[in-house]
Amino acid sequence: MRAVDIFIQQILNGLSIASVITLIAIGVTLIFGLTGIINFAHGEFLMIGGIVTWLAVSAGLGFPLAVVLAILAVGLMGYILERGLFRFTLERPTNGFIVSLGLIVVLQHVVVLFWNPNQKSIPRPLTTVWEVGGVRIASVRVMVIAITIAVVALSFRMITASRYGRALRASVEDRDTAALMGIPVRRYITGVFVLGSALAGLGGALLIALFPITPFTGGTMVMKGFAVALIGGLGNIYGAVAAGLILGIVEGFSAGYGFSQWTDAYSFALMILVLIVRPHGLFGGTSGPRMAS
Amino acid sequence: MKTVLKMGASAALCLGVLAHPAFAEDNIVKIGVVAAESGSFVSAGHTLPAGVGLAVKQINDAGGINVGGKNYKLEMVKRDDRTDIATAIAATQELVRDVKVQAIFGSETHDFTLAMAKITQPAKIIHFAGNSTLAKILTPDSVKPGGEDHYLFQSEPQEFQRSGSTARGVLTLLEPLLGYKPKKSVMIVGNDATGQFLSSYYFKALKAEGQDVPDIIFYPPDTTDFSPFLTRAKSLNPDIIHFWYNGDSTLTALPQALELGAAKSYFLFGVDPGIWKEKQLSADVPVAMSCVPVCWGESSNPKARAYFDAYFAAGAPHGVTSSVSLLYHDYVHFLAEAWEKAGSFDPDKTVEALLTLHHQGVVSDDLTFNPTHQVTHATEVCAAAPGGAISCSMQQPPAEAPKS
Repeated sequence: MRAVDIFIQQILNGLSIASVITLIAIGVTLIFGLTGIINFAHGEFLMIGGIVTWLAVSAGLGFPLAVVLAILAVGLMGYILERGLFRFTLERPTNGFIVSLGLIVVLQHVVVLFWNPNQKSIPRPLTTVWEVGGVRIASVRVMVIAITIAVVALSFRMITASRYGRALRASVEDRDTAALMGIPVRRYITGVFVLGSALAGLGGALLIALFPITPFTGGTMVMKGFAVALIGGLGNIYGAVAAGLILGIVEGFSAGYGFSQWTDAYSFALMILVLIVRPHGLFGGTSGPRMAS
Repeated sequence: MKTVLKMGASAALCLGVLAHPAFAEDNIVKIGVVAAESGSFVSAGHTLPAGVGLAVKQINDAGGINVGGKNYKLEMVKRDDRTDIATAIAATQELVRDVKVQAIFGSETHDFTLAMAKITQPAKIIHFAGNSTLAKILTPDSVKPGGEDHYLFQSEPQEFQRSGSTARGVLTLLEPLLGYKPKKSVMIVGNDATGQFLSSYYFKALKAEGQDVPDIIFYPPDTTDFSPFLTRAKSLNPDIIHFWYNGDSTLTALPQALELGAAKSYFLFGVDPGIWKEKQLSADVPVAMSCVPVCWGESSNPKARAYFDAYFAAGAPHGVTSSVSLLYHDYVHFLAEAWEKAGSFDPDKTVEALLTLHHQGVVSDDLTFNPTHQVTHATEVCAAAPGGAISCSMQQPPAEAPKS
């Protein structure tokens, strides 16, 4: 295999890694950046999305329908948890953070209780592998990248160009004033939490299409999601995408050419560096919403 | 006064009723298990309580054990270490100090066991662990009476033995399937204490078999996307990529390797053919698998089928490395036999008995501990041909470690 083929293959690998991380990061950046809820259980939301997909495919449903079910199920779970738990912690984000840590353990063990701790996988929804020169491109990875691009574009448009997006950004700047202007801030917070959760559901469905998952898959993924969200700038979807790409390429190349065992360390070292040099992220973001006094 | 007497009588009655179970428990011997029933090492971890639990049930169903003329039933008390060393230490302390177990099995995570031994050994608790890393501390000095690891036993072969038999088995089984003698191998290994320890021995074993091993590629233990690591391996044009050591990670990596066409053949450490069949896995190139120590799903060991039938009938999940349970199941029977022979639960007498017994287990008809409390037995290696046919063979360990 020629060196140039290896190089191109590593870039494709990086893009594929970036797409899954970006999907998680968008959920994190929306929820954390726009509502102030620090939900470390976001990785478990992703895992639940994967489990729902696995259950649906195991029951004989097609992968596209399973994806829709995963999005709906995790979105509904997000609604219930926001209404039942996180809304009581909005004034004290630290409490929300602690609640999310508890949720991690609860959600993991609920899945273990009902579906055992073993790996779950589904048959590849797309099995074709194209060979271009010496480079191999798996169609399932192309599918994941394409869906991520579509979701990013939709989310970006929703936040930047729609009336709801403008209202949402206004409420991030100043909740009290936004509320006085008639914006239903609390309802928007719920909406963003449900949207972020639904994206985690989608991320889980795409993740299990690529790799097997376990009830404990969420932990690593959410750490990278938070790293990407912080590097890109909280609440900044464009930043999340760019940071996801940077991280994916850094991971791909460090594993391919550097000290492979340090792959994760490079990502988090980059996050620390960015937070020191540019506290609002590479592309600028919110500091999280100002809390209502 | 009458009321006081009535209350006193009632209290005494209640105490009597409450005391009754404690009296009944006098004939119960508690065995502790510390294992990863959750967390990243769950695929191996959940086999411990399943294997020990099956042995306990078999012994109790057969009437229990007779020690010093008195009959005892065994009771397993298990604790989940959540693949977290602090939890493993806390669980061990609880089992030793509060539950007062007579013996402890686990953990399967190598460095955890070393920490647990710091609690079990001063407390004179018989401790079995299927970790070859124990070779670091099991020395003639440490295991002698009064030594700091006198009550610690390694229920898996020394790593040069396991790695040696595995490397030989993999190369022997893959050669006819490849149609030529493989020459170049690349190892892909989880970067933790266990991975580093095991791979250092396996690297030497491959070299001893004449393999060119240009790279050992370490990956962070929670990796799911292996494509960059596999692409790096592919650039070296290997005949075989050897995946060590976590079965879950290995099964995650293999489909990605096949998509990338990373090598001409693969070896998956710690993956039972049973899971290969159950998940209906397939490959367009030969794939070798090794079991720890005897395979579920396709074994050349005649006792293995009956064992795994009983194991799964008892409710154990079909895991990637169900065979790991055999590093513990046989040793519950072994320990029970030792207690009966010693005629006592005295830990020193039990150690004496363990060192003199020849136990007939599933893994081997002649399980014995050497003077440094380690067992020796064969390891089973299987290979799946591109068409799906699986063949297995028991590989005897080398007599001594490779020189370099």
